Amino acid sequence: MSTSMTGFSCRSALQSAIAVWRQCARFASAKPNELRPLLQGLFVALLAPAAHAGTAIVGGTLYTMEDGEPRDGMTVLVGDDGVVEAVGAGLAVPDGYERVDASGKVITPGLIESYSQLGLVEISGEATTVDAQVSTSTVGGGNAPVVEPYRLGPAFDVQYAINPDSTLLPVNRVGGITRAVVAPLPGNDPLSGWGAVITLGDGEVLSGPKVAMFGAIGAGSAGYVGGSRSAVIQRLRLAFERAREFRPGRFQQEQGGYTRRELEALAAFLEAEVPLVLSVHRANEIREAIALARDFELDVVIHGGAEAWKVADALAEAGIPVVLDILANLPVSYDQLGARLDNATRLHQAGVTVLLTAEETHNARLLRQIAGNAVAEGLPWGEALAAITRRPAEVFGLAEGVGTITEGAPADLVIWTGDPLELTTWAERVMIDGRWMPMESRQTRLLERYRSLEGNRPFGYR
Amino acid sequence: MSTLRRLSTLIPSAVAVGLALVAGHASAADREPYASTYTPLPTEELLITGATVLTGTGERLDGADVHLVDGRIAAVGTDLEAPDAAVVDAGGLWLTPGIIDVHSHLGDYPSPGIAATQDGNEATDPNTARVWAEHSVWPQDPQFPLALAGGVTTLQILPGSANLFGGRGVTLKNVPSRTVQGMKFPGAPHSLKMACGENPERVYGSRNQAPSTGMGNVAGYRSAWAKAVAYREKMAAAEADPDVDPPERDLTMDTLAAVLDGEILVHNHCYRADEMAVMMDVAREFGYQITAFHHAVESYKIADLLAEEGICSAMWADWWGFKLEAFDAVNQNVALVDAAGACAIVHSDSARGIQHLNQETAKAMAAARQAGMDVDEAEAIRWLTANAARALGIADETGTIEPGKAADLVLWNANPFSVYARAQQVYIDGYRYYDRNDPDRQPLTDFDLMQTARGMER
Repeated sequence: MSTSMTGFSCRSALQSAIAVWRQCARFASAKPNELRPLLQGLFVALLAPAAHAGTAIVGGTLYTMEDGEPRDGMTVLVGDDGVVEAVGAGLAVPDGYERVDASGKVITPGLIESYSQLGLVEISGEATTVDAQVSTSTVGGGNAPVVEPYRLGPAFDVQYAINPDSTLLPVNRVGGITRAVVAPLPGNDPLSGWGAVITLGDGEVLSGPKVAMFGAIGAGSAGYVGGSRSAVIQRLRLAFERAREFRPGRFQQEQGGYTRRELEALAAFLEAEVPLVLSVHRANEIREAIALARDFELDVVIHGGAEAWKVADALAEAGIPVVLDILANLPVSYDQLGARLDNATRLHQAGVTVLLTAEETHNARLLRQIAGNAVAEGLPWGEALAAITRRPAEVFGLAEGVGTITEGAPADLVIWTGDPLELTTWAERVMIDGRWMPMESRQTRLLERYRSLEGNRPFGYR
Repeated sequence: MSTLRRLSTLIPSAVAVGLALVAGHASAADREPYASTYTPLPTEELLITGATVLTGTGERLDGADVHLVDGRIAAVGTDLEAPDAAVVDAGGLWLTPGIIDVHSHLGDYPSPGIAATQDGNEATDPNTARVWAEHSVWPQDPQFPLALAGGVTTLQILPGSANLFGGRGVTLKNVPSRTVQGMKFPGAPHSLKMACGENPERVYGSRNQAPSTGMGNVAGYRSAWAKAVAYREKMAAAEADPDVDPPERDLTMDTLAAVLDGEILVHNHCYRADEMAVMMDVAREFGYQITAFHHAVESYKIADLLAEEGICSAMWADWWGFKLEAFDAVNQNVALVDAAGACAIVHSDSARGIQHLNQETAKAMAAARQAGMDVDEAEAIRWLTANAARALGIADETGTIEPGKAADLVLWNANPFSVYARAQQVYIDGYRYYDRNDPDRQPLTDFDLMQTARGMER
């Protein structure tokens, strides 16, 4: 606590310079999908001198997620650049570092939600607070008549609407969620556009625009193309054929039902080599997604995948990961009649990379309950934790080390009161990019206001 | 032409069948209409031994035995002697009362959710107190057996919340049955589903029809209750004096009058604290009791008022944010209501959530502990069992593990407040309707056969 309390000291300036250099060096070798570590590093180093030189988390049961194994008696050193400096047994705590005793606690990387609309939705039922999809445009809002369908298709990009002040971010952050993929919802085309990744910190949240293209196959999308599931597949294949042939300089009219703007987006997507996340449930349609991946050399990720277990071997062979919600076991539609609780277990056993999602933007914090249930249905514990930390970071090409607690990784971590996949534990402290987050949300404020109903002081003053 | 002809040939035979049915049930007029035909299955005498028992009365008994005779709980204690009983060794297992969900739409909004199965909201009139949710229940809804696997033995099926008065709810036993009558909980009172807030305003407001506002909602309740009071007075006058004609029978008014008589329990969908307080005044004005507020996201703001009025709150552990009225959720809602001395219930309103209500309760308990409140499993299990039974008017029959009660029980393979726990066996009236280790004790609906994942395997 001794350094920097009074301002921008020489020492912290030097440290800042080193931090910037380190970040730049790291960035040069990082995958391109996420720019945040560089920006964060610059921000922390130049504009906001830390209150202390760094943080040492000592003891407890640590899951670095290099594997799914626990490590006891370790020390994690986090520099004031927000990066993990070292992890090891018996490390000396450097002078000036805040020492946090984690004895009896469990430390994991911050949890990553692989499919959400965080930042795009405040109140689901209020259209003016929802920016997750492009479907129709209206004049005047409310009950005004629909003017015309507004199409952006694959050219839609969620990044400009992400609201860093959304109350949903602190609610989920104090529940241990530190990053999330933000996906566009299907609007009026089988391809719904570009998704982003956000950091649930309390500053700038957009950490990676255009981390993936999203789309959907099945009855929902069939509705956009005349009613048949087959037409969805045909349209997608046509789209990628045309996108492959697309040349920016040449004047081109609408092709295969896609506008020039949309084809441009698809061509950029093919160039970017980021995942195509396809929401699809039915086994035969998952096979079509696998064929699409093969024929157009796409990094397809299956989202939903109620019947993915039926085609687990084919998914494993094609190296296609599945993002799924283990508790979605109901035959809620004719796309999902084969839904089952042990889907993740069967996929894992076949060698498929499994990512877990809570499929719930307001309650992305339920991710660990989902993972716990996956364990109850047979998924190995370490694999379940990986499915909400390291695996999504790898699949979505987040910055090097995200989803782990290893040297050089952005320091996103959570100190839990016990087994993080249990229902009766909670996050005690949450660190994002090396900074402890306030354990406060609008919900905790409401609790404090109303936890005692005694007294005469009106609640408006409490 | 051909359609007409077909109809004309069909109609007489349909009438004939109808007459035959009436003739076959000459005594039908004597019974309650649409009465339960549920009869418990024959059971063997059973001794469940060595379990950790959460009784639902606030107690936890370690290494306890429970003795079942004729589908009832005969004794609870340690080292019970029952030489003729089959023994279930429950060492290391946990035993709780059967889970009761006071808010479900299973059967009315079945899976799959397609055009043919939207049977939960008669959203054609703000007051449909005349409709009965049981008449929409599809007993072949594949969601019923999944809820059973989650330990749910009893559930209340309510109409949806599109209307101010949605209609009558029904309490069912979660047993496989060809008919809804075969599931009806014998002796359970009917309920009346009412709804506050955004749903009726949106449904009718968007049609440019009343109600479109909160004040329109309240005017709608008051107008209906005022009519019901008058209807009831006319009925009473006719009963007292043979020369006075009764009013023309009105099914909507029948339901409301029965509420005023205390025969039908009011279950009121209401999120916001201020709206609950208004509903308490409506109840006072017309002389009825509100049994429970459902989806009571803001109960914690008025837990003292709810305790005073003896009104239960049926709540989620952490669901929030889908509407403005659901925006002020706190995870401690359930525990704060309980701590204030009011009746706290964890409910699902979800075919997904109903499968793990034990987990929802565990989260509510953990949130309380996180806030420094002292709540243990023995207390928290009441939110799913005893308190729910009270709200459904069946507390004399089920909801706790006490001698004399129905043997509605769940045997868990671990502490049910753990995410890793699963219901191992589920008993309704002493019959083992579900066994995780025995496929012959895992019911399949007709719909499941050759269609769902479960049905493909058998």
